[in-house]
Amino acid sequence: MGMIRVLGDIFRVLKHIVRQTFSRPFTYFYPFEDREYPERTRGRHIHIRENCTACGQCVRACPVVAIRIDKSDRKYEKDAALYFDYTRCIFCGLCVEACRFNALFHTPVVDLSEPSREALHYDPERIETLEREPLEWRGRRFR
Amino acid sequence: MSPDIRDEAVEMWFGPQHVSAHGWAAKLTVVGDFIVECDPHAGYFHRSAEKVLEFRTFKQGPLVLERMCMLEAFLAEYPYISAVEQIAGVEVPERAKVLRTIMMEASRIHSLQFWWGQFSAELGLFAMTLWPWVDREFFLDTFEELTGSRHAVSFSTPGGVRYDFNEKVLKKLDRALQRLEQHLPKFKDMLLRSPTFRMRTKGIALFSYEDALRWGLSGPNIKACGVPMDLRKDWPDLNLAYDLVDWEVPVVDNPDHPGQSDAYDRMVQRFLEVETSINIIRQLLPQIPEGPIVDPKARAKTNRLPAGEAYGRVEGTRGVTTVWLKTTEKAQTPYRAKIRGPCFASYYSLKHLVPGSTFADFIVVFGSLDPYPGWWDR
Ligand code: SF4
Ligand code: SF4
Repeated sequence: MGMIRVLGDIFRVLKHIVRQTFSRPFTYFYPFEDREYPERTRGRHIHIRENCTACGQCVRACPVVAIRIDKSDRKYEKDAALYFDYTRCIFCGLCVEACRFNALFHTPVVDLSEPSREALHYDPERIETLEREPLEWRGRRFR
Repeated sequence: MSPDIRDEAVEMWFGPQHVSAHGWAAKLTVVGDFIVECDPHAGYFHRSAEKVLEFRTFKQGPLVLERMCMLEAFLAEYPYISAVEQIAGVEVPERAKVLRTIMMEASRIHSLQFWWGQFSAELGLFAMTLWPWVDREFFLDTFEELTGSRHAVSFSTPGGVRYDFNEKVLKKLDRALQRLEQHLPKFKDMLLRSPTFRMRTKGIALFSYEDALRWGLSGPNIKACGVPMDLRKDWPDLNLAYDLVDWEVPVVDNPDHPGQSDAYDRMVQRFLEVETSINIIRQLLPQIPEGPIVDPKARAKTNRLPAGEAYGRVEGTRGVTTVWLKTTEKAQTPYRAKIRGPCFASYYSLKHLVPGSTFADFIVVFGSLDPYPGWWDR
């Protein structure tokens, strides 16, 4: 009986080893690959200036005064330039909720690390574009 | 303390840099291995949240509240919202009520899972630290799928909720619950039958119901004394859906010391709390009604509130959490908001519980009350 039990134990251990060897690792090879972010992820914003009406609701909704609006800076008919300060933003999504003209959205880009504080002050040009390309690693494509 | 003991006594600080003290600090007077005096200090986390609230509109206020305790963000933000809704006199849509209740219970489970892990780590049982935290990830994934953020969820808003459930959220929540239901008996076995755990918690930090009342304890700490004191039952909230569910307040009544609870009972109590929460969510999931998640009229009403006072409350993971709100006529921001966190009471009850215990037991006494520093330093 003892023999069988020992064999059973060995089998259990082997099963674990095989499973751990061939299962997908839980960690990611960051920054070359990244996990998938859900659709509603509240990352950095993107401002679509064609739709903006310079109503200023986003500025008013922000609890930490992270947005500055410059109404004199016009690219289209009645839009405004937005300056985002990501040293202050808490990613609450109230500005996106306040915008009724589909001009302000969150993106799933969440790693905003920069070498200096100044680089986190996004100017209108930067907030209009997504500079990041989708990353690829070993044939797997993320984000 | 007699004078000759005082000669031998050594004063020492526990924290704020000690790894088990997550930023808090208590001054202990130690004679040999025994603690004779404990003087807990608050203030290391002070963020003047009550003052900050006076400069935030009623929609921005919950963001401050949820940062009081990130582990139970869905519960923490609710008392403020409840107070605002009471002053405005609005009722939220049925669907929002159910969604709120489900997420609040999920938040409770998540917070308790974190606590099992933390408490076990303090006792040196590291397997039990990491296993519940793996299951906790699944709840965090659900929160992220639902709201777009893992911790600072800002889910409820005056007049309803901000994000709706969809197929993906339901699937993730179901998976998280299934995984926990599967593992819960294993966790219970591992902790409650472990000789190390029993030796370190049985008979430690024993107090009676009367003591608990006198010190202002609430939540699982008082329920473990065998008294079913729960705001969800005792003072039902209009804008939550606990009335749709058939459930009982879980209590532990240990025959060894009736009417009293020790660290072990409080652990058992917290296992029961999780089971109750799973039961509530499982009953509510098929009952989610169709309809809007937010009432635009009610929401518009909360932009400017009439003069009034209200007392928003919720049964948090750690106990009764309330916000008292006073507004002036046509105000956009509160005149005064007073937060009552559940942990200030449990932290200061260390003053009574710790003297007489050994130094090694100090962290067990502290951990068994499940205090969270964010709640005692507002
Ligand atoms: S996400 Fe919140 S904090 Fe950030 S800019 Fe928008 S409103 Fe302000
Ligand atoms: S982004 Fe939206 S809310 Fe902000 S100014 Fe433009 S239209 Fe108004």
